[in-house]
Amino acid sequence: MTRYIVQRLLLLPFLLLVYSFVIFAIIHAPPGDFLTSYVATLSATGTSITADQINALRHEYGLDQPFIIQYFYWVRDMLHGDFGLSLEYQRPNADLIREQLGMTVTLAAFAFVLTWLIAVPVGIYSATHQRSVLDHVFTVINYVGVATPNFMLALILMWIAFAYFGISITGLFSPAYADAPWSIARVVDLLEHIWLPAVVLGIAGTARLTRIMRANLLDELNKPYVVTARAKGMREWRLVLRYPVRLALNPLVSTIGWYLPQLFSGSLIVATVMNLPNIGPLLLRALVNQDMYLAGGILLIYSFLTIVGTLLSDIALVMMDPRIRMET
Amino acid sequence: MLTKRALALSACWLLTLAQFALAQPGPAAAQGSKYHEAPALADEVKAGKLPPVEQRLPEQPLVVPVTEKIGQYGGVWRRAFLGPADANNYVRVVYDGLFRFSPNGADIEPKLALGATSSPDFKVWTILLRKGSRWSDGAPFTADDIVFWYKDVLLNKDLTPSVPTWIRNADGTAAKVEKVDDTTVRFTYDRPATLFLQEIANQDGPDQSYAMFLPAHYLKQFHPAYTPMADLDRQAQAVSFKSWTQLFAAKATPTSNPDRPTMAAWMPVTRVSDPVFTLRRNPYYIGVDSAGNQLPYIDEVRFTYFADQQALNLAAIAGDFDMQARHIQMTNYPVLKDQEKNGKYRVLIWPTFGGSDAVVAFNLTYMADPVLGKLLATKEFRIALSYAINRDEIKESVFLGLGEARQAVPAPWHPYFPGKEWAQKYTEFKPDEANKMLDALGLDKRNAQGVRLMANGQPLTVEINVVPAFGAWPDVGQLVARDWQAVGVNAVVQIRERALGFSMRASNQLQTEVWNEDTTAFPFTGGSKLDPRNAPGQTLTLGPLFYKWLTTNGKEGVEPTEPLKRIMQLIDTARSVGHDGQVAAAQELFRIWADNVFEIGTVGLTPMVQGVVVVNTKMHNVPTTIGNDWPLRTPGNARTEQFFFTQ
Repeated sequence: MTRYIVQRLLLLPFLLLVYSFVIFAIIHAPPGDFLTSYVATLSATGTSITADQINALRHEYGLDQPFIIQYFYWVRDMLHGDFGLSLEYQRPNADLIREQLGMTVTLAAFAFVLTWLIAVPVGIYSATHQRSVLDHVFTVINYVGVATPNFMLALILMWIAFAYFGISITGLFSPAYADAPWSIARVVDLLEHIWLPAVVLGIAGTARLTRIMRANLLDELNKPYVVTARAKGMREWRLVLRYPVRLALNPLVSTIGWYLPQLFSGSLIVATVMNLPNIGPLLLRALVNQDMYLAGGILLIYSFLTIVGTLLSDIALVMMDPRIRMET
Repeated sequence: MLTKRALALSACWLLTLAQFALAQPGPAAAQGSKYHEAPALADEVKAGKLPPVEQRLPEQPLVVPVTEKIGQYGGVWRRAFLGPADANNYVRVVYDGLFRFSPNGADIEPKLALGATSSPDFKVWTILLRKGSRWSDGAPFTADDIVFWYKDVLLNKDLTPSVPTWIRNADGTAAKVEKVDDTTVRFTYDRPATLFLQEIANQDGPDQSYAMFLPAHYLKQFHPAYTPMADLDRQAQAVSFKSWTQLFAAKATPTSNPDRPTMAAWMPVTRVSDPVFTLRRNPYYIGVDSAGNQLPYIDEVRFTYFADQQALNLAAIAGDFDMQARHIQMTNYPVLKDQEKNGKYRVLIWPTFGGSDAVVAFNLTYMADPVLGKLLATKEFRIALSYAINRDEIKESVFLGLGEARQAVPAPWHPYFPGKEWAQKYTEFKPDEANKMLDALGLDKRNAQGVRLMANGQPLTVEINVVPAFGAWPDVGQLVARDWQAVGVNAVVQIRERALGFSMRASNQLQTEVWNEDTTAFPFTGGSKLDPRNAPGQTLTLGPLFYKWLTTNGKEGVEPTEPLKRIMQLIDTARSVGHDGQVAAAQELFRIWADNVFEIGTVGLTPMVQGVVVVNTKMHNVPTTIGNDWPLRTPGNARTEQFFFTQ
């Protein structure tokens, strides 16, 4: 086991190097560079900037150098712990990411907890009460939940909130608290706003998880050991929760590692549509504007978290399920 | 209204020389103790944190005329912005210049400066500053702040690699700038600089560039002429900058550094990279109203960050902003109008300042298909395609019935307007005439699908490139394509992402494209789209290879045609003649422009570009009509410091 983990960890730097190259190459692939996008943005708002200014900036940012040289500088700086400068924000990328991190993780954690709190009990209920009225109701809701893209749901909820309640539910704070220092009142304000994005972000996951939980549990409930336990007079709820549910959770645990990058990613489209201040819109903007060091930095952190998350899933599975052995 | 505007316009140049005289003390200025200030500032004065208002104001403050009435202090002006690339949102709100354009865009009025005078030959310009004016930190604003910009920023090769056109001599060197005394700066050119005032009315630090006046007392600590390089390197590295120039740029830009003192009515207290970009009243602002109240009336301006323009529009419809035109899409006009009845806001229309809001521009140097390229460069071909377009339909279905069918020439109330016959030239819907003209060009043979065949036997296919910068353009492209197909030209609309479209234009890959012509009021200054010498990567252009020819002194590219050479000549002439000469040059330029249909104008004078304005019903002194254009820094030219809220 230890050996396996060490092996995986040793592979990590190599994988990251490969990823970094791929990421940089892809960000570089569209025609033009940050300044082309910048000029286009300016002219879309009725401004124009001179060719001299642009050329000076291009030289200043090193965008006139060959791809491989730019890549080399990027990697070299990152090895020194320097994520570079965001071309658009003119501030260190590390600062920008750090500023968004707290809110991103808070929101994702809310969605995550919501998902599990709903999905597991509902899944258990549906499986143990198969084909009951409530099971059918949950099933329909689940299918709708899985089938509705969450940004669509966000738009619908925003429209309902505006059309019927006259409020716009963008952002995570009321205007009065948006840039206020942290206080009890601000936390309350955050809680008032965060539930809706959390529901939107969590709903598809909840639906999917409920279906998996239900299916897994149904498989287990008919197995002989359950029948035996029941025959021996074990109380039904105690039985279900103690044995089949534990086994049914396995597939869920194996995906728990995937949440790590998701926690960090801040769900790009929903966050953009709902104007949530997290990493999603930051990445989207960086990609659209070809702010390549910022986009590269964020994507590289995703890659890192994906690798680590998968590893953590594997470890968690081994601990949860004694049947699994590591081949070394 | 229009005649009044026209009068004001023609008078503007006579006023230029008299401006110094006009800017002499306002009514309240002479009696120092008559000034009033915002309650919050009065409290600070009482607490001894701030000097009294008469000591904060210059001897001769700027007396700002109010649009409707004298206002009252207080309130927060809620706006929205789209992130750091949207820093010009701030530039437009504060319009922090030595001079500024008047609300109708016809006049140039002194703002931070007291006035300017020129020598009779326009080679020497003298700018007078207001004695006793101060930066937002209380330090005096003097001629040294302009000399610092000149000596240490403009002439510093690291900060300014090439001298900007507006301050260039005929030989390409920088004009001379010198301090005469604390409040007087002299600019000396080796050529007549008749556009001087228009140019400096825009040297207010747009596009995160350097304004022509900088807080020397603050910025010297970031400049190697005053501070050891080792210190600067250390500071630069601490924030991931690679050089001192990046550090200096960041420190000198008000939107990225709240510590930098400013002269504007509101000073930033957060950064444009923050979720809320906040401006607070500048206690040292140089302006008062005619009753002696120090401006601005409004306490704070708050820009809330939106990652997405649609979300911003939804918030605007919900009434979350107090006064905003930027990023409001014209397509939402009916919805906004409908919501007006809720009483939260009123909706104003500020049409664009001339030109055309959707043109189909031709690439006159298209090379990938020489046969097609030759057609695109043929005037009769372009005229035929202009006649083929049904502009009424475009106006009704795309522009909500607003505006008028016109070529890309200035608005009728502008002195540069070449006349109605030129504005409407070739804009009639005459498909028969179009067919006749195309037949006459040897395009009379058609294939089975009815598409005309070119000289080489290939079907005539023209691509229309559309970058959806303004919501409605793809629809314009589709309607034009359908009209062209009706006369046997197989038009194909290609919708492209901005950066891709721009780089394809620069590399001469586009055939035709939809964009707008919004520079007709300023053909001689800024990045005019009418001047082939402006880079194709930056603005709409008629021929990327013309640009190449001009920048390589004729070694590469294609030599511009006679009409284009004449246009460049006219632009050069205008830079060195007085007002009447400029009007004559501009009118001739636009006659050439309309006659050659280098770009086919469709519909203009609509509120497409930041012209649908949402205004809180409690906000006042916002003009109902105004010149609306980027060089005017709209709404900055509405004199934002006199906007106010009623309770």
